[in-house]
Amino acid sequence: MLFAAGILVILAVAVLVLEPIVRGSRASLERTNDEMSEAEATRRVRLLALRDAEYDYQMGKLDEADYRSLRAELAAEALAAMEAVEAEKGGGPNSRVSPAPDALEAEIAAARAGLRDGTTCGACGHGNPAGSRFCASCGQALHLSGSTSA
Amino acid sequence: MNVIGELALWVSLPVAIWGGALAFIGGRQNRGDLVLSAERTVYAVLALITLASLGIVDTFLNDRFEYTYVASYSSLDLPTFYKVSGLWAGQTGSLLFWLLLLCGFSALAVWSNRSKNREFMPYVVGTLMVIQTFFLVVLLFADVNPYAKLGFTPIDGQGLNPQLQNYWMTIHPPTLYLGFTAFTVPFAFAVAALLSGRLDSRWIVVTRKWILLSWFFLSNGIVFGMRWAYEELGWGGYWFWDPVENASLLPWLTATAFLHSVQIQETRGMLKVWNMGLVLVTFILTIFATFLTRSGLIESVHTFAQELKIAYIFLGFMGALIALVTVLIIYRLPQLRSSNQIESFVSRESAFLFNNLILVATTFAVMWGTMLPLFSEGFTGQEISVGPAFFNRVNVPFGIAILFLMGVGPVIAWRRASKKNLQKHFVVPTAVGLATAAGLWLAGARVGLSVMTFGIAAFVLWVIGAEFWKGTKARARIEGEGMVSAFWHLVMRNRRRWGGYVVHVAIVIMFTAFAAAPWYQEIRQTLDPGESAEITSPLGSTYTLTYEGLSTNFNDRDDNLAWQAVALLSVRKDGEPLPPMTTEKREYIRPDRSTSTEVGIRSTPVEDLYITLADVNTRLIEMRVNDPSQQTATFTFMVKPLVSWIWASAFVLTIGALIGMWPGGAEVRPPASRPASDAPAPAPAGD
Repeated sequence: MLFAAGILVILAVAVLVLEPIVRGSRASLERTNDEMSEAEATRRVRLLALRDAEYDYQMGKLDEADYRSLRAELAAEALAAMEAVEAEKGGGPNSRVSPAPDALEAEIAAARAGLRDGTTCGACGHGNPAGSRFCASCGQALHLSGSTSA
Repeated sequence: MNVIGELALWVSLPVAIWGGALAFIGGRQNRGDLVLSAERTVYAVLALITLASLGIVDTFLNDRFEYTYVASYSSLDLPTFYKVSGLWAGQTGSLLFWLLLLCGFSALAVWSNRSKNREFMPYVVGTLMVIQTFFLVVLLFADVNPYAKLGFTPIDGQGLNPQLQNYWMTIHPPTLYLGFTAFTVPFAFAVAALLSGRLDSRWIVVTRKWILLSWFFLSNGIVFGMRWAYEELGWGGYWFWDPVENASLLPWLTATAFLHSVQIQETRGMLKVWNMGLVLVTFILTIFATFLTRSGLIESVHTFAQELKIAYIFLGFMGALIALVTVLIIYRLPQLRSSNQIESFVSRESAFLFNNLILVATTFAVMWGTMLPLFSEGFTGQEISVGPAFFNRVNVPFGIAILFLMGVGPVIAWRRASKKNLQKHFVVPTAVGLATAAGLWLAGARVGLSVMTFGIAAFVLWVIGAEFWKGTKARARIEGEGMVSAFWHLVMRNRRRWGGYVVHVAIVIMFTAFAAAPWYQEIRQTLDPGESAEITSPLGSTYTLTYEGLSTNFNDRDDNLAWQAVALLSVRKDGEPLPPMTTEKREYIRPDRSTSTEVGIRSTPVEDLYITLADVNTRLIEMRVNDPSQQTATFTFMVKPLVSWIWASAFVLTIGALIGMWPGGAEVRPPASRPASDAPAPAPAGD
């Protein structure tokens, strides 16, 4: 009885461990597409730094002159990061054209508005037309009130 | 069950070796099948070690005294509760328990990364399995196999050390071990990042979360240990700078340093080598902690018997780890260059940097003091050890400096902060801090360092409170929200920052409680029944304690007691009666007939009244003499202000850590979806 139980334990372990090699099932070894790339991560960090600076300014930690110069720097870095993301995605010829400086402000403003009315996807950040129930990019269900979805 | 358990322990060794080898080969040759097989070994070893642990619990529950481990730590009369916790009561069992938790965290790491961070997983699994293999080799070949047999079957076991027969026994070691073992996963990711050369922001995100989880367990484990010492050891203290206490503090210090400096890497791309070093050192320090406890090289309240064999195995393993990670870091140095420089001395980066320097300096000081007996014996043949006085003198200034930085850091902006703004932010908090210190000084609190700590604590609390208030106002203005909803979103959208502030509040509370130590009062008095003693609290009230007499009972087998002598004392505070208190001496049913003292504690938010029965004529008790005229007893009475704040701070710390760790919210949203956040730019998460 005990002997049989022991054999059973060893067999179970052997089957579990050797099955992938015998049957050739494989584990993925590469980063998947839906994981954030390094360029996207950088872009995200830059955008957030910009937002952080705005809060620091609003909370009185930065004075206006410092805030303006810092924001100019951060905006430039954020733009560079956004370009890198565009380049990475290997889009059309437009991807090389650097967006105007206020494009960033527009992106933040648009994203914020999208979040409020629930059209910006909480999972992938894609902006969807008003009234969408699912994200056109990733299929995620869209919340009606984005501001409470965080 | 015990036979299957022992078999499982032996089977897990080849499985772990197989897993480690296959993971590295699979990673190098890009063979998904080998890696999948290696990942399965993680689950398989978890299952096997669970069987092995259940086997040990089974031997305890069935009083199988032919096993050395059971005979040493259990007895027929031991309550079931402590038989189950027998798994971690002694040397060999606690190593198995350590391995069990390590296997659990390894499986969690593999499972939670089954469809992401795949590029790291071969090396993560490989590293985890190498470490598991190490512990298995120790268990099986270093004379610490929990399944080792005596060769005969004693009628009864030795019983469990009385000091371990306390409910904290079932809580403190597991929590601490959870903290220690969870650090293995960030270590594995760090090694994987170094081996695979993928040193971008990804590994740091995974690592950060695991470090926070481990840090949370370790913090609570340390505080639980303090509480155990306070309630059980009877000397009225909670921290003695004991080597094993220090050993648990060391990784806590370096992990705390990492949790701060990682933010500089995430926002500014700096300190990459430093952070990598902190992760690696933190893990090695957890191994060091086990080494110190298990080897018995340094005298401590925690040590088991001195085991040189195990000491050499651990030293060899630590040496190999240090050599390996040093070579890896040097090899990857070009990829670990900083992408930025600190722009201003007055910036949040530099505040974080100071915090790190102090934490690391504290680590060195504690390490030095702990290891001094060993070093001095090795070099001069004479064992020199330093007591709490050394540690306090060195570490109190460090602690005060850290406390001060907690107030400075939040107020200064990233990159640069203008002096004018700093002044504006610091005027009120500084005034509050100075007023607190001055008020306490005038009220008669004349201990410089403590008053300074209270003042700085007030300063920091004011800064943090103001930070919450101003942040809420700023969010309300930027987003056009009401104050309540602005506050909620402020915290929820950047849980790490605001959770961190809550943790800071916890540390402030804890440090304030520590700073009250100079006012602890203690008297020792011998009383006959009917006599009273008085002790005056530093806050002015006087406690009158009247010894009412001793009651004894015998052979309470449910509680494993040979006898129990309970001294009853009635208590008056400034003449007003309070509920009576008891303190007792016990002898447990054990061959060595050891006695223990149970303290009486009356705890209020202001102060604890702490009484112990220091001495009583135990011979008369054993002879069952029940004569009040022969019940003379010696008591120690103590009044300890603010001690309960330490335990309260652990709750606050838990709340803060949970806010910071809670999944979802700000941490998993890609940039475009969470522009409203005021994050100090946490890197992407997604896991």
